[in-house]
Amino acid sequence: MKLRLISSAQIILQLALTAVGLTGQSYPGKPQIIRCRSLEKETFSCWWKPGSDGGLPNNYTLFYSKDSEEKIYECPDYLTSGPNSCYFDKNHTNPWTTYIITVMATNEIGSNSSDPQHVDVTSIVQPDAPVNLSLETNTSANVSYLWAKWSPPPLADASSNSHVYHYELRLKPEEKEEWETVSVGMQTHYEVTSLQAGAKYIVQVRCMLDLGEWSEWSLERRIQIPKEQLPPEKPTIVKCRSPEKETFTCWWKPASDGGLSTNHTLLYSKEGEEKVYECPDYKTAGPNSCYFDKKHTSFWTIYNITVRATNEMGSNVSDPHYVDVTYIVQPDPPVNITLELKKSINRKPYLVLTWSPPPLADVRSGWLTLEYELRLKPEEGDEWETIFVGQQTQCKMFSLNPGKRYIVQIHCKPDHHGLWSEWSPEMYIEIPTDFRVKDMVVWIIVGVLSSLICLIMSWIMILKGYRMMAFILPPVPGPKIKGIDTHLLETGKSEELLSALGCHGFPPTSDCEELLIEYLEVEASEDQQLMPSHDTPSKNTKIILKETDNDSGRGSCDSPSLLPVKCRESRSLPSPLQTQDVKAKEKKRGKGSWETQCTASEQKILPCNSESTKSCTWLAAQLPSSQPAMFAYHSTVEAFKITLNTTNVNSSPVLVGNEENHQSLYPIAETVYDDIEKKSEMENSKTDQTTAQVRQNQRNDKSPFLNPKLMDYVEVHKVRQDEEPTLLLKQKESSGKSKKCTVPGTSKEYTKVSTVVDHHILVLLPDQRTQHPPVSQEPVAETSQNSQQSQTEKNTSYSMTTPSDSRRDTSGSDYMDPSSFMPSFK
Amino acid sequence: CHTSGMLTPNGKEYAQKIPREELTHLILKLLQAWKEPLSHFNQYIEHHQELPDDSLSKAKQISNMVLELKTGVEKSMGIISNTLNGMASSEGTGLSISNEANMMSDSDFIHCFRRDSNKVQSYLKILKCRIMPENIC
Repeated sequence: MKLRLISSAQIILQLALTAVGLTGQSYPGKPQIIRCRSLEKETFSCWWKPGSDGGLPNNYTLFYSKDSEEKIYECPDYLTSGPNSCYFDKNHTNPWTTYIITVMATNEIGSNSSDPQHVDVTSIVQPDAPVNLSLETNTSANVSYLWAKWSPPPLADASSNSHVYHYELRLKPEEKEEWETVSVGMQTHYEVTSLQAGAKYIVQVRCMLDLGEWSEWSLERRIQIPKEQLPPEKPTIVKCRSPEKETFTCWWKPASDGGLSTNHTLLYSKEGEEKVYECPDYKTAGPNSCYFDKKHTSFWTIYNITVRATNEMGSNVSDPHYVDVTYIVQPDPPVNITLELKKSINRKPYLVLTWSPPPLADVRSGWLTLEYELRLKPEEGDEWETIFVGQQTQCKMFSLNPGKRYIVQIHCKPDHHGLWSEWSPEMYIEIPTDFRVKDMVVWIIVGVLSSLICLIMSWIMILKGYRMMAFILPPVPGPKIKGIDTHLLETGKSEELLSALGCHGFPPTSDCEELLIEYLEVEASEDQQLMPSHDTPSKNTKIILKETDNDSGRGSCDSPSLLPVKCRESRSLPSPLQTQDVKAKEKKRGKGSWETQCTASEQKILPCNSESTKSCTWLAAQLPSSQPAMFAYHSTVEAFKITLNTTNVNSSPVLVGNEENHQSLYPIAETVYDDIEKKSEMENSKTDQTTAQVRQNQRNDKSPFLNPKLMDYVEVHKVRQDEEPTLLLKQKESSGKSKKCTVPGTSKEYTKVSTVVDHHILVLLPDQRTQHPPVSQEPVAETSQNSQQSQTEKNTSYSMTTPSDSRRDTSGSDYMDPSSFMPSFK
Repeated sequence: CHTSGMLTPNGKEYAQKIPREELTHLILKLLQAWKEPLSHFNQYIEHHQELPDDSLSKAKQISNMVLELKTGVEKSMGIISNTLNGMASSEGTGLSISNEANMMSDSDFIHCFRRDSNKVQSYLKILKCRIMPENIC
């Protein structure tokens, strides 16, 4: 009742305060009872938490009542349990009643009380944790025990020692997560057996009265369990090495030491001896090693080496290791590696690498002989190139690229059984690029010049291609006779032409011997002229054309064509072609005369031959009129042969054969072309051939080459020496046909000799550019160009063109006595 | 090894201390001691034909080389083999050596031969560097 009054009064007060208005101060907030606890069921305490104090100092009072009573008591002791607490001592504690506790906070303005808390003492019993936990370990017979001891929680009231607590212990190894909890009972000590050797354990205890809750866990205690102690494991001998074949060292690897400090000893015995020695030196070579110095090293004996590990628990021996020092030699890497760049003869640099054997190895006495090996790679490369060098201490390297960086290393090994040393430290090589500025400039100039030249050449080629071609490969000129007018020929007035030319005095008379006249005699039943030739300024390009005169076709010294030629062409112009007219009657001349004339002309010719640049006119030696002016000049023949040979043509020139003299194979002085010309023309014109055949007298059966069907070409009319040299051949007048001075439709100018057939037949190609109506006296089996092309061996007749003045003008060639064009033969 | 009875220097210093002639004699003694066992071995392996052909030829080659080496050393040192034989027999080891050699197993034989040839090589090299001008070694 009173409580209710009080609480209602508080409410009114609060309301009044809020009605009045808050001035920042108000009645306190509601406190809250946190906990009530009893340590031993005889006393208990309660703690509360104050609420907001409302800005003013608060006073706290605790009121309690027992559930069976109405009376409200106030807390007997505010101090013992600390601030905001209430301690109920023995007298005020009744374990069998339920207390209802409230706390009231009061300040100047008002008060506030907490919610009531029902407290049953028995249910809030929780002792303090035990104290004085102590741990001990004990190891016996390799088993460790943990001995834990503690004290019960202290109580304020020492008299109540009769409380019996139940204890619980928990432990775990430090690293682990889970606790192992052991119920201890009522003792204050405990022994743990199942422990991990070598682990560190954490131990805690807690207690409980028979009613209530367990206390908190005590503070942690830690303890280290000692490791198990075992004898050591077996060590192993790793390797034994001798760096210089005088001493050696052995290394071993210890195994687990069983938790105790272990000692190692190395023992050895030698082959054939029983005695066991101990390692003389454990220190020099480092830990876990044994160094045998010179005194203790014997060669060619096998050592039996073992290592023993000892600790408190026992010892263990490694497996024996047998070693003969001779075979375990592993030297140090070579030292003093030096590089030297030298220049060889042709200015290429090469590298000389030198090194020294390692310092310890005694190479000088021959006791240890080392072999070396290099390895090399470009800096960015992956693969090493290994070079075995042998026993020399230097190496010349030629194969390095200038400008590149290389890495080089060397190692060595004894020459007998042994081991390779470690690789020496890396050595970098860089060969300077031998790059002289001068060279570069030269190259630049060369490049620029050549490109300029190429440009110019190509430009010229483009512009004047045609002319260049003509220049390089001039066509075979047709015979151009001075004074012969092509037009006249075309019109067919050969008589006029001939007369216009003033053919006379042909063949050349003997007083013209000094004129070197060489001529070919195309021999057939009628005289046939043969040999278009085009003289070009070169040696041995002599064409012999027989000059014919009106009557006989003999060449004539007086022929205007000859002399001026000789005079004019003092420079290197080709000699005029001379056609030689072989007349039947001339053929009758004996061989001897020929020969003389041959020789004579030869003599004259010879100097010409020797002069390459001068123009020599080979004038055919004048033949007596009766003589067929066929001369074969051996020299010229040689020349012909040479030139013809080079053109892969049957080089023996066309046969000039006399029907009487079957010296049928006088080499005819064919047109000796300029080598190039002839070659090219003959080669080029193979398909388009007109054969000019020297036709032997029909009576001469031994002339297989003569084809009676062939159109015979009597003579070379003219050789034009202008830019388009052509040879106009005078067609032979065949018997039975009288087409003298008829000008066939197509007078051909033959500009090319295509081949020489059968050693005596010169195959000419017509001038394809100018198609003159042939002035032939023969049926001209001329094929058109097209047909000629189709027929390789077809005989065509060459038209004989009569020279004319106009022609002469046009041709510009200076030979060919017009008289030679007389169709005369027979 | 049948040559184990021979007193040979076991280290560099000992080998260098020995005078030249004695060293040469040692070398020749060693080579001589192997002459017979090698021929026996050759006969043995020829008959047994177990090894591949190139091993056989190698073995033959080795025997020949040993003989040649012996001859070469003799020539170069100017020693007549008679004296050597005299020395060998005077030591009374001739018979026992060959007997022992016959008793060896194959692997022992090879092992001993390898070792002795290494010895011979080392001694010869020391001799060479002693005799020859400085820059050779």
